[in-house]
Amino acid sequence: MMLLKLAQRNIWRNKRRSVIVIVSVAVGITATILTDTLSMGMIFQMFDNQIGSHIAHMQIHRNGFRDNMVVQNFIPDAEIVERAIKEEPSIAVYSRRVVLFGLLSSANTSAGISIIGIEPTQEAKLTKIKSSIVSGSYLTGSPNEIVIGRNLAEKLGVELGDKVVALSATLDGHVGSDVFRIVGVFETFSSEFDKVYAYVPLEGAQKLVGLGNRISEIAILTTDRNTVGMSKEALQDRLGDEYEVLSYVDLIPLILVQIDMYQQSMIVFYAIIGIALILGIVNTMLMSVFERIQEIGVLMAIGLSNAKIFSMILIEALSLGILGTGAGFVAGVLIYLPLASYGIDLSAFSEGLKSFGTGTVIYPVFTATGVLNALFLIPFMTVLGALYPAYRAIRLQPINAIRFV
Amino acid sequence: MEIIKTINLEKTYHDNGVPVHAVRGISMTVHAGDFLVIAGPSGSGKTTLLNLIGALDLPTAGSISFEGEELSSMSRRELSAFRLHKLGFIFQAYNLIPVLTAIENIEFTMMLLGISEEERNERSLNIMEDLRIAELADKRPNEMSGGQQQRVAVARAIVTNPSIVLADEPTANLDTATGSSLLDLMEKMNKERNITFIFSSHDPQVIERGRRLFVLRDGRIEQEVSR
Repeated sequence: MMLLKLAQRNIWRNKRRSVIVIVSVAVGITATILTDTLSMGMIFQMFDNQIGSHIAHMQIHRNGFRDNMVVQNFIPDAEIVERAIKEEPSIAVYSRRVVLFGLLSSANTSAGISIIGIEPTQEAKLTKIKSSIVSGSYLTGSPNEIVIGRNLAEKLGVELGDKVVALSATLDGHVGSDVFRIVGVFETFSSEFDKVYAYVPLEGAQKLVGLGNRISEIAILTTDRNTVGMSKEALQDRLGDEYEVLSYVDLIPLILVQIDMYQQSMIVFYAIIGIALILGIVNTMLMSVFERIQEIGVLMAIGLSNAKIFSMILIEALSLGILGTGAGFVAGVLIYLPLASYGIDLSAFSEGLKSFGTGTVIYPVFTATGVLNALFLIPFMTVLGALYPAYRAIRLQPINAIRFV
Repeated sequence: MEIIKTINLEKTYHDNGVPVHAVRGISMTVHAGDFLVIAGPSGSGKTTLLNLIGALDLPTAGSISFEGEELSSMSRRELSAFRLHKLGFIFQAYNLIPVLTAIENIEFTMMLLGISEEERNERSLNIMEDLRIAELADKRPNEMSGGQQQRVAVARAIVTNPSIVLADEPTANLDTATGSSLLDLMEKMNKERNITFIFSSHDPQVIERGRRLFVLRDGRIEQEVSR
C-alpha cells in the first residue's frame, strides 16, 4: 500500500512531464477508439448490407448448386426442406427463390444479369430490396413485374413502366424469354449489386425457365447471427447429403477475409501506437529514475528489495498508462456516442463507398475486442516501456546511488 | 556480545583507473550496545568503513560478519533483508523520502517489515513524542528544518528496533545546539533500547560522547580508545 502511495506521489513530482505522458496516451487511445469503431462500423455495415441485400444468414440448395448454378440443379423436394426449416427453432424467417442467370434487354441494349425469382412478401422480411426501392414500387405479385437496380436501369436506358425482355436457359435446355414491365428501381449500398441483380415474382421466374413450381434456393434468417454455424449443422443433419446448407461464412468469404485482414491491420496499428508509447515511457521513466538515483539508493539502504523497487517503477508507469487510458477512453466514448447515433456523413466519397459496399453514412461500432484493446493493451504497453528503466534502477549499487549527485 | 567482526577488511576504489585504497586491512569488533565512533580526517576511510559495515558496499578483500554470518557471501536480496531487519541508517544529508510526510517516512520501514497499521501508528507516535517531533507528523521534508529532518531520520532508523544504527556524519549539517540535542536523544535510545550506534564523524561533540573510539588515518586504525 505504501509502495502504491509512493508510486502515486512520485508521478506528480514532475507534473508537466506526467501530464504530457498522460495526454499522449489519451490521444493515442482516443485515436485508436475512433479508428477502430469507424472501421468496424464500415465492416459491419458492409457485412449487414451483403446479408440484407441478398445473401441472408443461410441458403439451402441442391448439393452442388453453388458450383454449377444451372436451372437443372433445382431443389429436389422443397417440401422436405421447408419441413426441416420449420422444425429448427433457430430459424426466424425463410423465403423461396429461383436463381437464374440470363440476359436482360431493352430496346437499346442488353446486360448479363442475375434474375432472382422471389416471394415478395416473404422476401421483404428477409432482405432490404423492398426498402431500397427509390422509384416506383415493390413487386405486388403479378408474374411479369420486375424491379431492377438503378445502375442497371441507367445501363439499359430504361425507366419505370418500360418493358424489358429477359432471356435465360430453360430446364429442357432451350432459351426461354419473357417480357417484364419495370415497376420499381432500387438502389442499395453497392453499385455493383445494383448493376447485376433484378427481381421478379417467383412465378414469373419459374415460367421463364419452365421450372413449374420448383425452386432453386431457400434463403433463411436465423434468430441470432452468431449461432448460424449451429443452425447450419442442424439443418444439414436433417437434410442429408442431397442438399447443401451454406451459411454466410461460406457465401461471402471475401468479407470475412476482409474482417480478418482488418483485424490484422489493427494489430499493426496498435503495434505502431504501442511502440511510440513504449519509447515515450522509456524516455520518461528513465528521466524519472535518473532524477531519483540518490533516493533509490536510500530506499535500497533502508531495506527496500530490488523486487519492490522494480514494482514501484512499473506501478508509476502503469498509473500513467491507466490515467491516460481512462482520459482517452472517456474522450473516445464521448466522441463516439453522437457519431454512433447520427453517423458520419461521408457522402463526398459516395462512389468509392458504394463500390466498397457500405453506405455513405457510417455508424461507428464498439466491439468487445475494441474495448478490451483500448482498456488493457495500452496500459500493458506502458508497463513494457517501464521494464528497462526499472531494470536500470535495480542494477544500481546502493552506495553509488546514495553518493550520486 | 560480539555482533560485528571485520578481519583484514580492505576496500580499493578506482578513480579514473587510479587505485584508491580507502580501507587497508581493518580488523575490529563491535559489541551489542556499543556507542562507537569512527573518527578521522577527511579521506581517512571512515565513511567507507561504515558503508562496508552497513552492507552498502562490498569489500575488496578480508571479511566482515554479522553475528557470525559472512556478509560478502550474501545475495543482493539477502543483503537487502539484512539491512531491513538488522540496521538503521542516518545520513549526513538526512535523505528522507521527499514525497512522504514525516510519519510516513517513519512508518515506511515498518511497513516493509509487515508490521500492522495499528502497531505502526502507535510506534511512530511514541517515537515522535520521544524525539519531540510529534507536531511534524504531517509535514513533508521540504517543510522542515535540517534538525527536524534529522530527528525524523533518527526516528526512521530506530523505530524498527534494529540491532545497529549506522550514522554517517549525523551532525555535520546541524548547528552545535541541535547536534548536541540529537546526540542526547541517540544516547538515550542507546541506553534505553540497547541499540548499538556506530558513528562516522569528525565532529568533536560526537567523538567526545563515543564510549568506544576508532581513529582512522589513511584507511588504517591509528588509535582505539575505550571509555
